[in-house]
Amino acid sequence: MSTIDLTIEFGGGLELLFGNVRSHAVSLPTRVPASNSTTLSPPVSTTKPADVDYLIHHLRDHVLKERPELFMEGDTVRPGILVLINDTDWELEGEGSYQLCDCDEIVFISTLHGG
Amino acid sequence: MSSCGNPIAEDAALMPRRFKFDKVRDCIKCKLNPGNIVIRHAVYCKDCLTPLVTLKFRRALEPLVNASSGTSKRPKLKASGSLTLGFSGGLGSSVLLDIVYKTYFANQPSVDPSGEPRGGANHPRNTNVWSSCAVCYVEVCNAFTETRDRTEEIRTALAPYPKFDFIPLRLEDAFDASWWSKVATTPDQSQLGLELGKDGLCTEGFHLAACPTLPPAAALRSYLASLPTQTAVSSAIKVIVRLLLLYTARSRQSSHLLLGTSLTTLSISLVSSISQGGGHSILEELQEEWTCGGESTTSEKLNVIRVVRPLRDVTMKECAAFGWWNSIAVVGRDKQARASAGIPGLTQDFIVGLEKDYPSTVSTIARTCAKLEPKSASRGSCILCQRPLQEGLEDWKNRISIRSYSDAKLTSDLCHLPLLAPFGASELSTPPHQPPSILTHLCYSCQATFTSRSSRGPKPAPSSIDVSGALPLSTPLPVWVSANHTRPHVAHEELVMSANGEIWYQKKQGEAENQSVVAKFLLDT
Repeated sequence: MSTIDLTIEFGGGLELLFGNVRSHAVSLPTRVPASNSTTLSPPVSTTKPADVDYLIHHLRDHVLKERPELFMEGDTVRPGILVLINDTDWELEGEGSYQLCDCDEIVFISTLHGG
Repeated sequence: MSSCGNPIAEDAALMPRRFKFDKVRDCIKCKLNPGNIVIRHAVYCKDCLTPLVTLKFRRALEPLVNASSGTSKRPKLKASGSLTLGFSGGLGSSVLLDIVYKTYFANQPSVDPSGEPRGGANHPRNTNVWSSCAVCYVEVCNAFTETRDRTEEIRTALAPYPKFDFIPLRLEDAFDASWWSKVATTPDQSQLGLELGKDGLCTEGFHLAACPTLPPAAALRSYLASLPTQTAVSSAIKVIVRLLLLYTARSRQSSHLLLGTSLTTLSISLVSSISQGGGHSILEELQEEWTCGGESTTSEKLNVIRVVRPLRDVTMKECAAFGWWNSIAVVGRDKQARASAGIPGLTQDFIVGLEKDYPSTVSTIARTCAKLEPKSASRGSCILCQRPLQEGLEDWKNRISIRSYSDAKLTSDLCHLPLLAPFGASELSTPPHQPPSILTHLCYSCQATFTSRSSRGPKPAPSSIDVSGALPLSTPLPVWVSANHTRPHVAHEELVMSANGEIWYQKKQGEAENQSVVAKFLLDT
């Protein structure tokens, strides 16, 4: 199965939830379950290209160290977390439906850590 | 009119997804580069965001730098005192710190060929707007369990700003006589405490009483544990942090205290403050001119501290992008340490969610609140939060409250003592056993902090606050509460504690009052 390599960065204090490590290297399969399930289950029939929605679920299930409720709300990131895809606001890139490419850099910045 | 249909039954019935930006993806400012960020439906590139944020910062701050506006349209900026900056380690204050440093302190004066500043070191062009800047950080770890001390992390984060003085403070300094003696000239009376009702029902009056001397950290925990709700704890911490910063700023002869409140956090604090009964001082939540005790005498005009929030037009999203693209380190804090439990936390969740879906509404909150004015006049300031005190508050509360019980014995048991006369109004008729009331010296918001009971029952055993041992009968109060009663120009009254623990009023009479008392004894000449 082919994979794509991504660089994930956390800022604004969000790294506290990820073991206080700001930068992570993550590999994802090019095709992922459409349900965004990240468990190692038998091959599913319905798949889709790896996108940011799947990446968020992957980070929650495999990288996050504590308090998932501060990272995700529903099926997306919590309001107050800015997502940059290759230095561009994810609202300009289609948010969670952006299809990941090899060597993409995804940044998650928390804006909720006070004034 | 077309229908959206049933989205569960038919996929095609879903409405087309709306983009969160207007028209094109290019930057609306330079119109050259592809956009990098969407700010309230407008697209900006990375290069244009930094000057945009800096411009908003200067536009909010610079009209308030000079003590008087003068007649010039572009006056030279010169503050009357030094600068104090409140730093929490959060995003807003980190961005503020960086912008202040780069704008006003980092640039060295231009030099002539000999290496001397052009025009001499004392030339007005070569002087800074502020003579110096102190960065104050208030450590709150002793208010919560499982929260570590971050003072050294903050010190490290400030290393790139060598021209700033670092002043570490602690939340328990508010109960520390040694800290008070450093920042204030009035004597400490921290042995005074707040006596609550027997069953914690303190709706019938607050009484100053003798309080056993506790170490500052224990006094802080005792104070917080006496509060009825998590909302009250958050509110009390916010008040203490604000006054620690203000008194520290005053001790450094600062003319300005800058806070890193962004547009989003400002909207949160405005809505949160109103919902906790702070509507009368809503303008102070936006911008404040503070003097100790709330009323400035002629000699204290120079000691007025302007509390300015220069990022009040910058959203949290802009701050986050600005900080990331300018490599500004953000220390970050636990949610617990941000004292955002209760109403402040719920308000934050609501407004941040609102900003995500409807980005323009957040600025509407701040702009609408800026147009509000209190309905009634103010009389002095609250002795706890030192915000304006509403005129006629007691009358209003008496009109809307049921405050009497049919059974006198029950009244006595529940309320501990009957409602007292206004502070200092009838000292001679006050029974000797009756401690003085501070009820009329507290604003509605502070009264609500002490009295509001959760509709879900009493506050659960505080998991975040460590209360070791039984609570003392009376709750310690921050040092400025009793100390400000000694200020003769605020109230000509003074609380004095005698050696045996009795509390006495001293009241200085005016000349006319003296004459009226002795008038009948005077002989006609």
